[in-house]
Amino acid sequence: MKIIDTDVHPRWRSLEELGGYVPEPWRTKLLTRRIVHPHNGYPNPVATHRRDAVPPGGGQPGSDPDFVVEDLIERYGMEYAVLVGESAQLNISAMPNADAAAALATGYNDWLIHCWFSRDPRFLGSIFIATQDPQLAAAEIDRVGGHEQFVQVALGSGARAPYGQRIYHPIYEAAERHGLPIAIHPLNEGSLIFGAPTPVGYPSYYFEFHALATSALQTHLVSMIVEGVFAKFPNLRLVIVEGGVGWLPPLLWRLDKEWRSLRVEAPWVNRPPSEIVRDHVRLTTQPLDEPEDPAHLLALFDMFPADEILMFSSDYPHWDFDDPTRVLSGFPDETRRRIFAENARALYGL
Amino acid sequence: MASERIPVARLDEIPVGGVKIVQVAGKEIGIFRTPDGFSALKNVCPHRGAPLCQGEVTGTFAPSRPREYLWVRDGEILRCPWHAWEFDLHTGEALHVPGQRVAAYRVVVEGNSVMLCL
Repeated sequence: MKIIDTDVHPRWRSLEELGGYVPEPWRTKLLTRRIVHPHNGYPNPVATHRRDAVPPGGGQPGSDPDFVVEDLIERYGMEYAVLVGESAQLNISAMPNADAAAALATGYNDWLIHCWFSRDPRFLGSIFIATQDPQLAAAEIDRVGGHEQFVQVALGSGARAPYGQRIYHPIYEAAERHGLPIAIHPLNEGSLIFGAPTPVGYPSYYFEFHALATSALQTHLVSMIVEGVFAKFPNLRLVIVEGGVGWLPPLLWRLDKEWRSLRVEAPWVNRPPSEIVRDHVRLTTQPLDEPEDPAHLLALFDMFPADEILMFSSDYPHWDFDDPTRVLSGFPDETRRRIFAENARALYGL
Repeated sequence: MASERIPVARLDEIPVGGVKIVQVAGKEIGIFRTPDGFSALKNVCPHRGAPLCQGEVTGTFAPSRPREYLWVRDGEILRCPWHAWEFDLHTGEALHVPGQRVAAYRVVVEGNSVMLCL
């Protein structure tokens, strides 16, 4: 069975390894800790990474490209793995200094090109941008967007404003121009300059924070629909990463119902939101929901165009990893074929 | 059915708190040494098939009142390296997922030899 993994997390071996690709004066500032990647406010209380994913040569899980090839791509016979940054990288958009953030974005993208893409053509990746200055972000997309192994532009779901709003539109203009989807990855909400991770403030526990990870993703999705991002940028696609699946069907029902009543407020939303989502939005599957009764998951997939919208992801090497040989069993072959590879192939043009 | 005793380690090979993962009869089994003896569990998590025996041997926080932390069973709990399910290191029972368990095997020590009973 063909597999394209749409969410794999690389990390730098050391700050020095990343720093080598960051332009001055920011390289020196980074390596002397005068600037830092903001910390995620909610560290995992158990473990962020799988203990069994530590590379044989040592170092952190996900820091050795050759071992990722062995332990993930070859082990499962994958065609491609799409690399997406971890929290530290998502959090560049949480830095108070917009220029520092933009420099770290540049460094990260060059690090990815030199340390990962060059190691194996099966690595694809996400252009990281900092959202404080959307013009600089667009320039970064223009700088590296032509590299054939970059297949999307990625952002964290942590933000100062919902992603449909016009201040972000230069990012979407650049991404659309390069034929690159926008990908939003959760679990950096509430960092540094962002608002609180929930609408009613800061939860106390990672358990809450993780359970509520879909909240900001939904906010950004609804914002992009209602602000008309997909009308303004008709070739733009959105990937919602690491949000799981179960929240989507009821949201589509709710959005379509709202649309029938409230369409006049945003008349550029010229068709039901669920249709916009079908055409423009993809979800990566991990962490795939686990209802008590497996039949309920099958039923859930019937409630929306799952065969078109979903793309398999593992989240390697994180703790809540989905093993491709263990998820989606019991689903029809055609559904599996499309979710495990063909939807990603169509989206990313592979 | 008579069980077989298969030597899997020398007594001094596994430190207390440590594990040796062995291949026996087509199965991967983790041989654990605890302060009061040995245990053996199949190296496949019943949740999603993770290599359970590569997880951390630890204790747990017992169910408690709000804001109360009761650290118990240090060295008796195996935590899965993937989704962090907790298992009793001796019986293989999942602590908080009713009905879920990993296969557990008896271990006996004969002289300098640690023997797995299958």
